[in-house]
Amino acid sequence: MAKIERAQKLFLKSLKEKFQDQDVQSEKTEFYKFGGIRQSPRKLEFMKASQAIEMQRGIPMYDPERCHLGGLPMGQRQLMTYEVSGTGVYVEGDDLHFVNNSAMQQMWDDIRRTVIVGMDLAHATLQKRLGKEVTPETINEYLHILNHAMPGAAVVQEHMVETHPGLVDDCYVKVFTGDDELADDIEPQFLLDIEKLFPATSAEALKAAVGKSMWQAIHIPTIVSRTCDGGTTSRWSAMQIGMSFIAAYRMCAGEAAVADLSFAAKHAGVIQMADILPARRARGPNEPGGIKFGHFSDMIQTDRKYPHDPAKAALEVVGAGTMLFDQIWLGSYMSGGVGFTQYATAAYTDNILDEYTYYGMDYIKDKYKVDWQNPNPDDKVTATQDVVNDIATEVTLNAMEQYEQFPTLMEDHFGGSQRAGVIAAASGLSSGIATGNSNAGLNGWYLSMLLHKEGWSRLGFFGYDLQDQCGSANSLSVRPDEGAIGEFRGPNYPNYAMNVGHQGEYAAIVGSAHYSRGDAWSMNPLIKITFADPSLKFDFAEPRREFAKGAIREFEPAGERSLIIPAR
Amino acid sequence: MAYKPQFGPGTSVVAENRRKQMNPDYQLEKLREVTDEDIVLILGHRAPGAAYPTAHPPLAEQQEPACPIRKIVEPTEGAKAGDRVRYIQFADSMFNAPCQPYQRTYTECYRFRGIDPGTLSGRQIVECRERDLEGYAKDLINTEVFDPARTGIRGATVHGHSLRLAEDGMMFDMLQRCVLGDDGVVRYVKNQIGEPLDRAVEVGKPMDEAWLKVHTTMFHSLAGTGFREDQEYVEYVQRIHSLRTKYGFMPKEE
Repeated sequence: MAKIERAQKLFLKSLKEKFQDQDVQSEKTEFYKFGGIRQSPRKLEFMKASQAIEMQRGIPMYDPERCHLGGLPMGQRQLMTYEVSGTGVYVEGDDLHFVNNSAMQQMWDDIRRTVIVGMDLAHATLQKRLGKEVTPETINEYLHILNHAMPGAAVVQEHMVETHPGLVDDCYVKVFTGDDELADDIEPQFLLDIEKLFPATSAEALKAAVGKSMWQAIHIPTIVSRTCDGGTTSRWSAMQIGMSFIAAYRMCAGEAAVADLSFAAKHAGVIQMADILPARRARGPNEPGGIKFGHFSDMIQTDRKYPHDPAKAALEVVGAGTMLFDQIWLGSYMSGGVGFTQYATAAYTDNILDEYTYYGMDYIKDKYKVDWQNPNPDDKVTATQDVVNDIATEVTLNAMEQYEQFPTLMEDHFGGSQRAGVIAAASGLSSGIATGNSNAGLNGWYLSMLLHKEGWSRLGFFGYDLQDQCGSANSLSVRPDEGAIGEFRGPNYPNYAMNVGHQGEYAAIVGSAHYSRGDAWSMNPLIKITFADPSLKFDFAEPRREFAKGAIREFEPAGERSLIIPAR
Repeated sequence: MAYKPQFGPGTSVVAENRRKQMNPDYQLEKLREVTDEDIVLILGHRAPGAAYPTAHPPLAEQQEPACPIRKIVEPTEGAKAGDRVRYIQFADSMFNAPCQPYQRTYTECYRFRGIDPGTLSGRQIVECRERDLEGYAKDLINTEVFDPARTGIRGATVHGHSLRLAEDGMMFDMLQRCVLGDDGVVRYVKNQIGEPLDRAVEVGKPMDEAWLKVHTTMFHSLAGTGFREDQEYVEYVQRIHSLRTKYGFMPKEE
């Protein structure tokens, strides 16, 4: 390892904006003079809103100047704003809690309400069992009916309740196939056109993987999956698929073949976005704890849009992953409250992780001649222990030195878990991108944690450290119940299941290995194609930009209820 | 051959300080004299002079089960008396505070008995029987592992370890449990949980920057010694990581 020069500090602009008129390299500052929470426009807004609510309902609510530490409110030091990394948008921390951010809600909604269902089994049933003809024309007719039915409309019954289209306008179905000829015959509004959505080499690989099969990318209404749960998605979609087949192919509503179609839609031909979890975690399929890291890195589409920047692609996975896995999964499904957001946002604000990661890019290019801006499998470094140790050590030491040299940077990431996650992520991403091997990336993460702990004699909180101090031993060995290649690991992997600041980064490390090779997907080509859909409410190619839009209240989500409630 | 602890690798002054603090044969330098009563005030668990509240009767007065471990392990004085388990918690500034969270835990494990330390990024707590705690706390406050400005005794609302220092060199404490007087002496005006004290407790003058720099146990490239400068230390961590990775495969000796 040897430190290299890097003149550009991506976090400097943010620091200067946050700590205006201050020397960002000074070790000293002033405290206790900021007026507590009244320095924050957002918290003032909260107080005002709360007063109005209290008058209306007669029950006290947000009262930080009385309830916080017996009268000492937050804000005895400067309450910082944050730049959502890579966007230039400055927001208050509160704006990045998912309750306050509709884009964050929609990202998770768009995953939870999605299933992919194969059409081949159904077509085989129709053709071989019933002797029906299946042609591009009948498929188009079926899709037309399905897009009527999926949001909650009837197709067979003569007297039936239905849903208001204005409440379920985010619900639709498209299809994709690797068969160019068939794709040409599908009406464009129903087609996910792989050729148009992906770079040429990726498109070819994806089409070859899909072959002549045809798949439906289904997004049930946000409001349905919110009212029920992720397990509803395949059930809701299967019901409407079955009814649409009956209508499109003039089947008997009660004939036995319908059961085959249902079985295909509910079980045999369905791809859930997440696996069911064990009883002690008690979640059905399509809930966050069951999303494999390989699948998540396929859902995020940045590598499709920016194929020459695997670092950015991975950083967007970090942002999306920490939001989903830390803020929503661990922070609310498994725990509660607000603390997880403070941890998670460190990884996607103020360009700090970005700076550390691009330092790693400069390092692997300088020392190992990895042309990271030209992703390909040929120039990857062999993933030896020495190589991982070298890259992870250098990236870790550089990151620690940046925190030391810029005391405002340390103050920005004032919690050890924030720093540990960010430093280890940069180390893991750099190792993953250099080697094209996700487990090598994970191994780099764990070395970073050990170095960090020894250098500063501290790491994260009690539980945070647990997995990091035993992770070296399970990062490369693969034995049942104790290890898996990174792609198959997930938030419920035994050693990963309990604490914040890891899972989004792990998913990014997995993705980074593939983005750097120029792979068209990480683990599942069907998921990669499904989330390339420009009709989705949330743009999975730009999660951080979307979060920023949510923070400044410019994101338009689904799940609207104003049509059925009194006007305010 | 008897095991001889090495306490840790490294050629730097930071590494040497770490080894000294951990080594129970090394006499920690006493730098201040905070009295027993003042320690009790800062801890805030009982009033000075009050009897120790108990969690159970003295061991001598209760029926002990026939247990070989109890015969091997001599109880501490606090355990014998049936004291409650209470705590002291420290926040250590990253600007050259003499002790740091993991270092505290290691040091306490080598030097004290009957303790339950917990280590976080900004703070470190040690819990034990109350009268044992008061004795340990005295060592932890009166010796070279403590600095009045860079070490905080904080039960809750502990943030400050990673922040810039105040203009007077004190570590940030939202509750301002201790203040630097015009006479250069730091006084605790609140106990560790933040309750105001009836009288201020002096913990002495802050050590100067030069002293802090040569006594700290944390690497810091701006304020003290950079981690990169201690190559032996870095290589040792790499070695530990490599061995742990290898032994994930459970290799068998041929």
